[in-house]
Amino acid sequence: MDTAFRRGAREGWRDFLPMSLGLVPWAVVTGIAMRSIGMSPVEAMGMNLLVYAGTAQLGTLPLIATGAPLWLIFLTAMVLNLRFVIFSAALAPAFHGHVWSRRARASYLLVDGVFAVGSEKMLASDDPEWRWGYFIAPSAWAWCLWQTFVLMGALGADIIPRDWSLEFMVTIALMLMMIPMARSRPMLVAALAGGLGAVLLRGLPLRLGLFAGIAIGIASGFVAEHVQQRRAGT
Amino acid sequence: MSEGLWLWLTFVAIGSTTVLTRGSFIMLGEKARLPRALHRALRYAPAAALAALVAPDILLDEGALQPFNPKFAAALVVLFFALRSRQPWFPFIFGMGVLILLRKGLGW
Repeated sequence: MDTAFRRGAREGWRDFLPMSLGLVPWAVVTGIAMRSIGMSPVEAMGMNLLVYAGTAQLGTLPLIATGAPLWLIFLTAMVLNLRFVIFSAALAPAFHGHVWSRRARASYLLVDGVFAVGSEKMLASDDPEWRWGYFIAPSAWAWCLWQTFVLMGALGADIIPRDWSLEFMVTIALMLMMIPMARSRPMLVAALAGGLGAVLLRGLPLRLGLFAGIAIGIASGFVAEHVQQRRAGT
Repeated sequence: MSEGLWLWLTFVAIGSTTVLTRGSFIMLGEKARLPRALHRALRYAPAAALAALVAPDILLDEGALQPFNPKFAAALVVLFFALRSRQPWFPFIFGMGVLILLRKGLGW
């Protein structure tokens, strides 16, 4: 038995365990939210397995609910997942030299929590087997937790009365993802500008107002960051 | 809602963004580097996108700007509990509670 792998797996799992419990309410809400727009339990779990990214799942629900065009749904999911490009770039050295199949599994399983908790130790270790264990154990654990509790939410959604405006759970969930992000000034500016932009430009054809809003938000955040840095510099 | 085969195609399309973004640099290996300016711009994408999805839902009422609506009131309650409490369920419970109360109780 490869002991470096096992040691890495144990440590990775232990480091991630406390944070992983925070996934539970999210998973339950995501399960209920997918049902709230009219998906069957099988469709909800199909989405959960194929997408496996809470933000993209919740963020695209309002668009799926209104029958928005596929390209719009695809682009929105892409924007919501763009942060993973940053995580992927940061973690890439830790997967250097690993076989294709491992990197492919990592490409599906990499989630925010494991990155936040483990990226530093992964990048510091020079033992590839230890690194793989340290990544894959908490990632597999996160996957199991997520699938289990989404399933519970998806099945439990039936006991909630239909006329309770349950689709608003999606909006609440999206707000709760956004609020901690907006703690820094430039990020708050990006969010406010993005939201206002999308509201004011809602009349644009092809629902382009959504993307115009996002672009305005990103640009505003970028500008706010520069202003902040210039002020700090003088 | 989108239905049947189209719905599953939608799932595949959304799922492809998961693998494309998470896998991007992990699959490319160390040959590729993320440009600094792009890195900084990308940080703002999720916050901007989430706000762009949420704001129209809570600020518009049948397509017109109308901040005085039950969803906006509920959103303020969500904001309050998100900032003030450490209980992960509170924003959901009180946000939904206020919305249901305003809609069903007061018929707003």
